[in-house]
Amino acid sequence: MVEIKLKVNGKSYILEIEEDMRLLDLLREKLGLLGVKEGCSEGECGACTVIMDGKVVNSCLVMAFQAEGSSITTIEGLEKEGEIHPIQQAFIEVGAVQCGYCTPGMILSAKALLDKNPNPTEEEIREGISGNLCRCTGYNKIIQAVEKGKGV
Amino acid sequence: MKKRGRGIGLSFYGTGYGNGFPDASKAKVKLLKDGKVGIYVGGTEVGQGAKTVLSQIGSETLKLPLDKIIFISEDTSLMPDSGTAAASRQTYNTGNAIKIACENFKNRLREAAREQLKLNAIHGLTVEKGEIYLEFFPQKRISFKELSKIYGDDNIEAEGEFIAQTIEMDPETGQGAPYWPYTFNACGVELEVDTITGLVEIERAVFAQDVGRAINPHLVEGQMDGGFAMALGYVLFEDLKLEKGKIYNNKFSKYLIPTAMDMIQIENIIVEEPEYTAPFGAKGIGEPVMIPVGPAILNAIYDAIGVRITELPVTPERLIKAIEEDGKKKEEI
Amino acid sequence: MNLDIVGRNILRIDALSKVTGKALYPEDIFMDNMVYGKTLRSKVPHAYIRIDTGKAEKIDGVIKVLTHKDVPNNEHGVIFKDHEVFCSEKVRRIGDPIAFVVAKNKKICELALKEILIEYEEIEEVFCPIKAMKEDSPKVHGDTNIVYHYKIRKGDVEEGFKNSYAIAENIYRTHMVDHAFLQPEAGISFIDEEGRVTVMVATQYPHYDREEIASALELSEEKVRIINTNIGGAFGGREDISLQIHLALAAKVLNRPIKAIYSREESFIAHAKRHSMIMKYKTGADRDGKLLAMEAEIVGDTGAYASWATNVLRKSGVHATGPYFIPNVKVDSIAVYTNNPFAGAMRGFGATQVPIAHEQQMDILAEKLGIDPIAIRMKNIFKQGSITATGQVLTDSVPLDRCIEKVAEKIDFSLEREEAY
Repeated sequence: MVEIKLKVNGKSYILEIEEDMRLLDLLREKLGLLGVKEGCSEGECGACTVIMDGKVVNSCLVMAFQAEGSSITTIEGLEKEGEIHPIQQAFIEVGAVQCGYCTPGMILSAKALLDKNPNPTEEEIREGISGNLCRCTGYNKIIQAVEKGKGV
Repeated sequence: MKKRGRGIGLSFYGTGYGNGFPDASKAKVKLLKDGKVGIYVGGTEVGQGAKTVLSQIGSETLKLPLDKIIFISEDTSLMPDSGTAAASRQTYNTGNAIKIACENFKNRLREAAREQLKLNAIHGLTVEKGEIYLEFFPQKRISFKELSKIYGDDNIEAEGEFIAQTIEMDPETGQGAPYWPYTFNACGVELEVDTITGLVEIERAVFAQDVGRAINPHLVEGQMDGGFAMALGYVLFEDLKLEKGKIYNNKFSKYLIPTAMDMIQIENIIVEEPEYTAPFGAKGIGEPVMIPVGPAILNAIYDAIGVRITELPVTPERLIKAIEEDGKKKEEI
Repeated sequence: MNLDIVGRNILRIDALSKVTGKALYPEDIFMDNMVYGKTLRSKVPHAYIRIDTGKAEKIDGVIKVLTHKDVPNNEHGVIFKDHEVFCSEKVRRIGDPIAFVVAKNKKICELALKEILIEYEEIEEVFCPIKAMKEDSPKVHGDTNIVYHYKIRKGDVEEGFKNSYAIAENIYRTHMVDHAFLQPEAGISFIDEEGRVTVMVATQYPHYDREEIASALELSEEKVRIINTNIGGAFGGREDISLQIHLALAAKVLNRPIKAIYSREESFIAHAKRHSMIMKYKTGADRDGKLLAMEAEIVGDTGAYASWATNVLRKSGVHATGPYFIPNVKVDSIAVYTNNPFAGAMRGFGATQVPIAHEQQMDILAEKLGIDPIAIRMKNIFKQGSITATGQVLTDSVPLDRCIEKVAEKIDFSLEREEAY
């Protein structure tokens, strides 16, 4: 067991963890942040995407101890004072959600993209979310949602 | 060298289990506390939008706003059997069952209203916006809320069942009416084939889908985009690498499905021509939306390079091999 | 018709819970006193087996190892009951379930799986559906591998081909693919407050799951309860039973909550695939492009279990002509067992494969006749009143001509265009 300190969704934690624990398990099982999904366990599908110190990471590929001292945002951290984030709102409005399993990771990738590049082209959006697989939507309504979410 | 081609694919698709098998959906509708209405069906939300579309059908039939409807489709101890969420049958079959159940429920409400309003009969009673009133003397009215207070939870309810009409086919000749209704579509694509790398890039796609009537156009478009993507993966790159019964590509790093980079904007066209046996004319489209895309791509590849690909998937290796073999054949001639 | 809500882009009623991550899938449900389960699966495609769970059961933290001996009625299947809940004597494919370990945590489950000894006595396998159809092929079940044969006999195809000016003949091959829904199978089972065996699972058809669990456990259906959670995509891949009976059995035997989550790799071998098909087509048209005859022989590989094979190959057969009126049609559509992964429902259900053939046939004929792909289709498509190859009259809502026109308005398919073949 090792002890780590990290910040998740603005809150500081000191946690006892097993050495072989992944960040994904820490978030889901220790902190109950169940919006972090596991789809492939090898960093291909992006369902477990979280934002770590401003960058998107696949939390299935990050060991929990590697998150020492970092600041992490999960889908649960996007709501501010009971209001959902404009990107979440855009996903609802344009119909970018189907089964919903890729949605949290997709929204976080979109957010990280827009934080870095507030006015991306369609190509840049496609590239920005290309690490997140979706089997339902064919991505186009997701692209539309990100377009709508920019500049908000 | 990059070569461009265009192709079209058509398909038709018969909805439901088919072939005379009793394809039934059941629905139950109940007046709940506060005048809300519960719709109970076994129609599963797999992501296709069943909850939303089926709620819209209920809402339209009851002329009741959606926020007054509670849709329950999760627990077998609460809901009747509405068949599987497959065969593109939920909108048509369960939609019809909900419509029938809601019509029956309206009559139950009218009966209750007749009793409370001390009327002689139920005709002339309109059910709308959570109220029941007499058309030609609108002062005679009572709300769902009042009725739920008087009759309590669970006392005003109705059921509905819809069974699709199909006929078993003759085992020797295949003659019969196996499915109803049928849904139609056409997809056209323009693409570019790189004859050196074997890569195929979709440049443009126009997709026209018959839906009978679109209950929710955005959801239809979402299905069309998703069906296109799934067909793109099917035809161009998804490969289990199956050898002697073993799946070698058993993870996403090997079994490649389309990413946002592989997709393009699709020009989706919804074609409406209401089907008379369907709820508000709406047919199921969950499966049809993937079907014409693959053949359109294959025909466009031929248009581009003059080589027919008869085996899926059209991976770069297979495409290059086909081009080489075709070249050899032409040399021999 | 005066419509208030139908036809409007109502926002999905489940969208808010999904964009906030609050929507729960089976793996997101945790219960007190919960333990974990994991499946042991066959590593070979065709073999007689002997199972020894003794060593695994002695591992600290292992609660139970379930095998066929624990199942009151060891069978299931959507049409034919050809699946065993756990294989008893024979495995028929790689991935066939043999045992289900229940342990305190996932790590102990993994450890225990390695300690279950399976002795495989391998038998000759068959992977090619054409070979499997032969009399002397190894048999996967019973005494024939042919599961189903659907036929259409309409008119006289020989006469039709004799009168044809152009004929296209080809063999098309499609492959097995996976649904690749994003959420791998998962579930949690427990005995509810009314004593019902309850399984929370992501399934396409909860009432079917209830029926199969009740039948396998020999319980009345009222004693079984399925709660569908949110479902991370399905596309046909969640129609057959995967972990539902294993979980229900474990809950009944142990009277405590059990959870199982498949890895992506296990998901790939656990659920059905799209049928691969070999489609031999011959299509004839007159000089004007009017279709006169079509003959198709379709062989679908359903792998080790039938699942929906009868209905899938039937759907292929019925849709084999494509949306075209053809006076003379002969179709043979056959489903065959092999030792491949089993095939079942997947989006389009047999109607997805045949257009790979019939639509290329149309273009081949068009080219031979020197007409464009739109023209040949418009001459033959179904319209209101058309009769299909099964003799069905399309009485209503047949707007295929409008679909084609909409596409052709935007993309030019004429032969005069610059890049035409």
